[in-house]
Amino acid sequence: MIDSQGNVLGSHLVPTGASGAVAARRCLEELSRKSGVDATGVSTTSTGYGRSLIDFAEKSVTEITCHSIGVHNLNANIRLLIDVGGQDSKVIRIGENGRPTDFEINDKCSAGTGRFLEVMARVLEVSIDELGPLALQSDSPCSISSTCTVFAESEVVGRIGAGESSKDIAAGVHAAMASKISTLSKRVGVVTPVCVTGGVALNPAFRHYLSKQIGAELWMPDNPQLTGALGAALLSLEL
Amino acid sequence: MTGKESGKEEKAYRPLKTQDLLQQVLFRYVLEGNAASEEGHLAWVTSGFPVEIPVAMGITATYPEQYGAVIGSQKVGPALCGFAEELGYSQELCSYARSSIGSTRKPEESPLNGLPKPQALLACNNICGTVLRWYDAISQMTGAPVFLLDTPPIEGEQQPHHLAYVHRGIARLVEFLSNTFGASLEEKRLREVAANSTKAIGLWTKSLEACKNRPSPLNCADRFMTMAPIVSMRGAEHIIEFYQALYDEVRERVSQGIGAIRNEKVRLLWDNIPPWFSIFKFFNGLAKRGVVFPADTYTHAWSGSIEGEDLFDSAATIYSNVYLNKGLQAKVDKMVELIKDYDLDGFIMFSVRSCKRYSLGQLVSKELVTRETGVPGVVIEGDMVDSRLFNEAQIQTRIDALLEMFE
Repeated sequence: MIDSQGNVLGSHLVPTGASGAVAARRCLEELSRKSGVDATGVSTTSTGYGRSLIDFAEKSVTEITCHSIGVHNLNANIRLLIDVGGQDSKVIRIGENGRPTDFEINDKCSAGTGRFLEVMARVLEVSIDELGPLALQSDSPCSISSTCTVFAESEVVGRIGAGESSKDIAAGVHAAMASKISTLSKRVGVVTPVCVTGGVALNPAFRHYLSKQIGAELWMPDNPQLTGALGAALLSLEL
Repeated sequence: MTGKESGKEEKAYRPLKTQDLLQQVLFRYVLEGNAASEEGHLAWVTSGFPVEIPVAMGITATYPEQYGAVIGSQKVGPALCGFAEELGYSQELCSYARSSIGSTRKPEESPLNGLPKPQALLACNNICGTVLRWYDAISQMTGAPVFLLDTPPIEGEQQPHHLAYVHRGIARLVEFLSNTFGASLEEKRLREVAANSTKAIGLWTKSLEACKNRPSPLNCADRFMTMAPIVSMRGAEHIIEFYQALYDEVRERVSQGIGAIRNEKVRLLWDNIPPWFSIFKFFNGLAKRGVVFPADTYTHAWSGSIEGEDLFDSAATIYSNVYLNKGLQAKVDKMVELIKDYDLDGFIMFSVRSCKRYSLGQLVSKELVTRETGVPGVVIEGDMVDSRLFNEAQIQTRIDALLEMFE
């Protein structure tokens, strides 16, 4: 939620669960409570999968456009945005006006999404927040060749059985995932400075390996999970 | 008729009056196919086959690919593909082939009780290599012999030795048809059939080119429906009347400034076969948002006339130089040409899981086409018949994001 000047008044994050519409209402209530501003009835834009089901939103816009506008608002120099979420990953070329000019989405293979890391964290018996720091302790990442989350899980179990250390396996897992995202990025064309957003951006090992593989420094906003919401809020100002 | 007169809300899309005539033409096609099968002169033919040759020899043609479109639009693709998968065919195999094999296995569960039984199977690999193996499978099931007209892919210009090779293939086709059906080829008759083809294709091309106008008189689904006689009845005299009627309607629309959709805002190019099971929902859904498709790479595939001194040479040239038999650069050039000529704002490339020949290289072509035209495009993924491979939410996001670029 932002004011008419574009200043952020509050934010709240809830998992979508079984009903996007219910989750969105809950989010709005929580937003009102946290910010002290009544959020009901304010101009609202919905974004993401299920965006058209949010009945109180006046407008629905794809996350591609919203992320692009949100990131542009925070750093107008960014021309390439890599967004890695739980369900998919996208690479967006941002035009000078903040609008996307090209994009690619990986929505076919979970090995390029946050879900991959969640599965691997569970196998390695660490929390998702611990997985990145664990990987950064490694100076000899093991190779994870599988390109599928399910089979990579079996491969990781095999590595554990072969006595490889958790940190080396964790590092291998991040390198494998970064390699997928790097390929997607190169398809759109790497133009610096590059921004990384989405929940996975919070993982330092992912940023380390991605930066290495695309050969560019990465810029990350303070709240990388909220740039899409910020873009949507900025679009609501036009309503 | 206006929306008020019909008592309903006006649809974003304007149906063609010629649609009724099309139904009659297609009904005749089905009846003729059934009769020919019973009389022993029916051949199953691939869409890019030089059909003028068998037609001139008195052989009736029917088209499994077109039947695949029927299977798709009747939404029985997954079931019929499933019958082939039960036999061991991979889900990766073309869904036209799978559904054709499935419907041959279980005609009683197929639209129109399956295609009529063939006496010969005529495959030309100018559209893909799968057709030969597909027809081999049908041959095993029906006992009909297969003829392959081999048209090696062309990179750049067609070479003389290449032309001579395809020419020999056509001569062998005539031998094959003579041996199989006891038929003979008269040059006079071939010239008549070729002239019918030329007239129909000429009228069809004029209708396509009329879509350069704003608003466009035809949308994608219109062209995919009305191309049926060009695909399946080339060479027949009665389809000329249909294409004349279509062109008259198109001309009338253009002269009165009537578009295929009511509120044309964005003009896009379509690449590849459409999702048959969702063709109206898909294109009419976009029509509601002001999106029209004045051109596509598929329905522009039939052009050229079999004429001149040597008719076999002419047929060899035309049928070797079809869109899918050429290299990636030719495809890119065609897309660029259509985007420029039809004044299009962007393009949608449908990556069809089944059709590797059409879909391979689309990611590269997308980049090249944007570089040359400056207009954005998007690749969406799915299938033409097998709706199990079509994820609506993902496709919606990609298309919405493309449309947002025009705001």
